[in-house]
Amino acid sequence: MDNNTQPTVETLETKPMKITITLPTNAYFISGIRDFTLGLIKNMTEFSEQWAFRFQSVVDELCNNAIEHGSAPGNDVKITFINVPHESIEIIVEDTGTGKVKFSATELQKLVSDRRQPNYVHTGIRGRGLSKIVAEWTDELEFKDLETGGMQVRIKKFLQDPKLKEMSNYLESPTHLVLQ
Amino acid sequence: MTQATITAEDIPASLQGTVAKVVKFVGQLDESNVDEKAKIIYAIIEQAPKNLFLLFDFEGLEYMNSKSIGYLTDWYGKVTEGGGKIVISKAKSNILDILQVVGLTQLINCYPTLDEAKFALLQPIAGTN
Repeated sequence: MDNNTQPTVETLETKPMKITITLPTNAYFISGIRDFTLGLIKNMTEFSEQWAFRFQSVVDELCNNAIEHGSAPGNDVKITFINVPHESIEIIVEDTGTGKVKFSATELQKLVSDRRQPNYVHTGIRGRGLSKIVAEWTDELEFKDLETGGMQVRIKKFLQDPKLKEMSNYLESPTHLVLQ
Repeated sequence: MTQATITAEDIPASLQGTVAKVVKFVGQLDESNVDEKAKIIYAIIEQAPKNLFLLFDFEGLEYMNSKSIGYLTDWYGKVTEGGGKIVISKAKSNILDILQVVGLTQLINCYPTLDEAKFALLQPIAGTN
């Protein structure tokens, strides 16, 4: 059989899986989302149980921020999970921008960046969620102002550390070591 | 509201003038309940602002969010300011993981068993008699 004519088989194992959930703006519903996240990561992705618990916290923190700052009572928060098999998980949380204390994407990015500085001391009860939990446990964290007036927070975690991947390219070729 | 209970019971303290308690946490501490539950610990601190020794038994604690970690940091500050101590025992791996990522395990010692935690709690604090 000619190898070139073999059909490409796209199975569930290779196809990205996307799930979107819309929640009313109420902290009461967040425990359900935490349970869902834990089950999803454990059963539908290749991430370990430790990461399932970590994503549970990441989603919880993002949803709480969206409820507190982004969406007024009676509005919604939208959560999207995109799992790319053998590659990554992406989680997107969107609010409506109707919350009491509104931040722009640039302001939030700066806030997180400031709080991630090694000499930053957290003194209050709040303020650790994005900078100490979400940012620490993800490879990408992006904030985007939506045309609707809301905010989109997108996180991505690769199954393999992308930095390790870069390193392994050098390691595969022991005659080309790059000293930095 | 998410289910969580916090109960406290006295443990005999070896040093006079000190108050020692085991505080048992069960359930999940999240945005829906943590402000309410935190009042229980603040009430304990208010009753014994000096030389308070607290052993937080986290065996039944399934989840804690960033705000509950914020409260834990605040309790630690208040208790140590009064010459007391806080230790944690039997925390599940996901709880230890989150305490570690926020750097709290550098402040509060965590022990795998209640006995080890109790022993560590009642040891005299370095620099005191």
